[in-house]
Amino acid sequence: MKTKETDDNIQQRLIRFVTLTNWILLVLSCVAGFVFFPSDFARGILFGGLIVTINFHMLARTLKNALTPPYIASHNFILARYYIRFVISGVIIFFLIANHYVNPIGLFIGLSVVVASIMLATLMEIKNLFLKEAI
Amino acid sequence: MEAQALQFFISSAVAAGFGIAIAAFGCGIGQGLGLKSAVEGIARNPEASGKVTVTMLIGLAMIESLCIYALVVSLILIYAHPQATAIAALFGAGH
Repeated sequence: MKTKETDDNIQQRLIRFVTLTNWILLVLSCVAGFVFFPSDFARGILFGGLIVTINFHMLARTLKNALTPPYIASHNFILARYYIRFVISGVIIFFLIANHYVNPIGLFIGLSVVVASIMLATLMEIKNLFLKEAI
Repeated sequence: MEAQALQFFISSAVAAGFGIAIAAFGCGIGQGLGLKSAVEGIARNPEASGKVTVTMLIGLAMIESLCIYALVVSLILIYAHPQATAIAALFGAGH
């Protein structure tokens, strides 16, 4: 029973950590970008980070609606939301790059915010694991 | 020389097309496998749907970011190649 509760805590802790770290990393990288780099680079970080963070939240909501019984949304609704989200992201990135509104390297850094926060969460869990084993 | 410059930009467009196609192929397979396993797990044990969904969310976000990276690289190759102006000038295009 205790193991099951611990597993639940791990899942919830992970998602809380990733969600919070997303926004923190986005703010920190934006501030660093606007202070230390040219404005197009900073805009790349800002737009990339916003796109990927909002995408992550919308994906979370879509998956929750699709896979959490007993109130599961219809397949059409889930598919429509998934593709609308994907198309909107693609179109925004297209216009940002095609109009040279952002620096591509900055956009890359912004788009890596979620990946970085997931990596951080994994490192935190590994650290906790080793600390527990040491005790 | 202008033909060489044109060849360079055609190659960039072809590389962009193949790049996003291969990335979408790989990411599609990866996401499909993850989703299949998650749905099977939830069908066998509906009580575990919360845990499975969170784990899958993190996995899907990682996979999806790879596809977005490929999209960005492809768009850069077509619309914002960093050396496009230099290469066009090198080959004498636009004169």
